[in-house]
Amino acid sequence: MDRFDAIVVGAGPAGCASALVMAKAGLKVLVFERGKYVGAKNMWGGAFFGPQINYLFPNFWEEAPVERLVTRHVISFLTGKGSVSVDFKSTDFGIPPYNGFILLRAKFDLWMAKQVEKAGAILATGLKVDDLLVEGEKVKGVKIGKEEFHSDVVILAEGANSLLTQKAGLRKEFSSEDIKQGVKEVIQLSRKTIEERFNLKGNEGVAMEFVGLCTRGLPGGGFLYTNKESLSLGVVAQLSDLIKNRVKTLDLLEEFKTHPEIGKLIEGGQTVEYSAHLIPVAGLGMIPRLYRDGLLVTGDAGALLLGTGLILEGANFAIASGMAAAETVKMAKEREDFSQRTLSHYQQILKESFVLQDLETFKKAPKFLKNARIYHLYPELIVEMAEKIFRNNGEPRKGTFRMVREVLKGRISIWQLFSDVMKARKAI
Amino acid sequence: MEIIVCIKQILDPDLPPAKFMVDKERNKVIPPEGIPFVINPYDALAVEAALKIKDEKGGKITVITIGDKSTEDIVRKALAMGADEGLIISDTIFEESDSFAVGYILAQGIKKIGRYDLILCGRQAADWDNGVVGSVVAEYLGIPIVTRAKDVKVVNGRVNVERVTTDGFETFELELPALITVSSELGQARLPSGWGIIKAASKEIPIWSGKEIETDISKVGKKASRNQLMRLIIPSYERRCEFITGEDLHEISAKLTSKLMERRIHE
Amino acid sequence: MKVEEKLALNKFDVDKEVHITVNEEGCRDCELKPCLYACPADCFVLREDHITFSYEGCLECGSCQIACAKGAISWTYPRGGFGVCYQYG
Ligand SMILES: Cc1cc2nc3c(=O)[nH]c(=O)nc-3n(C[C@H](O)[C@H](O)[C@H](O)COP(=O)(O)OP(=O)(O)OC[C@H]3O[C@@H](n4cnc5c(N)ncnc54)[C@H](O)[C@@H]3O)c2cc1C
Ligand code: SF4
Ligand code: SF4
Repeated sequence: MDRFDAIVVGAGPAGCASALVMAKAGLKVLVFERGKYVGAKNMWGGAFFGPQINYLFPNFWEEAPVERLVTRHVISFLTGKGSVSVDFKSTDFGIPPYNGFILLRAKFDLWMAKQVEKAGAILATGLKVDDLLVEGEKVKGVKIGKEEFHSDVVILAEGANSLLTQKAGLRKEFSSEDIKQGVKEVIQLSRKTIEERFNLKGNEGVAMEFVGLCTRGLPGGGFLYTNKESLSLGVVAQLSDLIKNRVKTLDLLEEFKTHPEIGKLIEGGQTVEYSAHLIPVAGLGMIPRLYRDGLLVTGDAGALLLGTGLILEGANFAIASGMAAAETVKMAKEREDFSQRTLSHYQQILKESFVLQDLETFKKAPKFLKNARIYHLYPELIVEMAEKIFRNNGEPRKGTFRMVREVLKGRISIWQLFSDVMKARKAI
Repeated sequence: MEIIVCIKQILDPDLPPAKFMVDKERNKVIPPEGIPFVINPYDALAVEAALKIKDEKGGKITVITIGDKSTEDIVRKALAMGADEGLIISDTIFEESDSFAVGYILAQGIKKIGRYDLILCGRQAADWDNGVVGSVVAEYLGIPIVTRAKDVKVVNGRVNVERVTTDGFETFELELPALITVSSELGQARLPSGWGIIKAASKEIPIWSGKEIETDISKVGKKASRNQLMRLIIPSYERRCEFITGEDLHEISAKLTSKLMERRIHE
Repeated sequence: MKVEEKLALNKFDVDKEVHITVNEEGCRDCELKPCLYACPADCFVLREDHITFSYEGCLECGSCQIACAKGAISWTYPRGGFGVCYQYG
């Protein structure tokens, strides 16, 4: 009883995935979660994309608390004058195994953890791991207050604010350049209103991203997801830019709510929760060392997530990395060798999967996305262009090229624009 | 020393007011989805009192609750704090039982357990604040009771109790077996240790049905209830603020006086 | 909507033990006071010319500690089970 094969720190997607796979393989697994209940500390924007979760929990949507399916994506460029949106609907997205799921984390994480328990892992909630037990070079377990817990391997799945990963000497101090902050309100609305307002039927749902005014042109964006009976509305912004410009996400979110485009979507709704969380977005460059003797780092703690601007995906990366860590531990258990040589297999699996490959593909994105023009100038240009195209004031219209030239004039050179487009092609 | 502690699952009393909702039609509290129920804080103190006795004298603590399988969480919480055994009494015939019926069910469960020296309960449940159950259990078992204890000690096979009064406390000494209900003045319930939580997680918790405790059906459920809830509402408070202005203090105070007079007359 | 109103919607199990402390010595010659803009819960408030901090409404995001260039903030999570408890997330 008093020794475990593996101790997992954190019951988010990464921790649950690794614990589930290990427990199913018959390993003795102990999961610590600092929240009063699983999910108590976790928030996000809203949607899970890709097949990862289905590998873990086949046909999970049949019993898991899924809010809605993502059947419609909208990307909007917002300015004070108006907005231009790309609205993408796909009927395919409404057919199993589905493309995206809108979830609320507190409910969903709790469900995941129940599956982990059913598979035989011990889940200990309301316990915060304070430190790692280290003997020489090897990690031997964890410490909570004065209590010690021993295991062959520890899997860190502690999320973005990875204090233990830092204590283990695997990452350096964060800089505000590496971090985005997300804030969100859950706004209650009746099911009927949501379905009418967003033109949805049954379990259909919409994921919306906003660029431009919602961050006052600072790097970042806004989001809106339709839940069953509420909306998740939030803003994400680069921490360094908030500080430099003396702006608070609190104020950005309030402004966002009063933008006419948003105001009409949330009208009559009642805010029922306010939450905040960090996102480690610096990409490949900020990934810590992911293993050492007796230790593996997964999910957000390993900065394994993709934020290309239009895409913010972390949960699927967390699950994939959690599963990869579990496979590695299974192998190490067979060899009874938990040294970093064996555990380096983890890095290998990640390299062969989308986790590190996507991060490699989009490695230029973090730098590109710091380009302020994306959030400030381009939304304005796009909206103005649209206005010029659609406005009919009785005068003869100008050719499109002339209109573009007029809109651009004095604000950005053609060469600058061209160079940004080329960079965008390479980065995202 | 065999100690039995009766515990109850309640809505988290630390809920912000915005999450507290009632269904006016059905006179029921609507629990906020996803926020787990907790152990009644007074009952946690009763567990604490039991643990203190066990720390000093040794013995065995059994916690007992009524409810469905979901009450497992609070039983595990008590086990994690250090209780030895847990027990759930569960049956659909118990639904909508009032405090008297609950007292009867607990007493039947305790009779089936058989051996006990001391029974501890919270002074009241922090949801409805009735504070009746402990007394009813003692009555059914025919044992002495002291309510609202701030200290419980077992000395030479007897129990010494300090009972909270409005301006101090009274001291009692009772023969065992006895039932004591515990008040907030007892102090703080301990937090479970890590190992406590881990050990409690895999502990078997038996569930006894109404039949197993030989329930007299006429004594439980809605029909047996001696009191009935008439109306459940959330009181609304309104605050209004008005600035009274005037040329000088005289005028302002005159205006204020007449405002106050006006309200007196009207309300 | 004011921040206090927003925070009042959340469930907090506030611990008696403080999990974040600010060494106000360090704040005195901190010009930009980044913590004021970094905290999504307005836990840092400028009173006249000094920073006051209260941990009760903390959403445990970790921004303040990263933002504070003076290292004046000693930061950890609340003890297990305490702090904010999201219902939706
Ligand atoms: C605003 C925002 C929007 C997002 N939107 C999306 C989206 O739409 N789609 C998407 O795929 N991803 C999104 N993400 C990213 C996604 O939420 C994360 O990538 C994902 O949650 C990472 O999972 P994880 O298991 O690594 O970490 P987490 O989910 O953060 O889980 C970590 C767990 O560890 C626990 N913990 C931490 N320290 C300790 C300790 N010392 N002891 C015990 N327990 C501990 C925590 O309480 C928590 O439960 C978003 C993130 C944010 C902030
Ligand atoms: S940023 Fe740090 S040093 Fe500056 S005012 Fe805030 S807490 Fe003090
Ligand atoms: S952790 Fe986040 S919410 Fe808490 S004080 Fe720091 S910045 Fe504010």
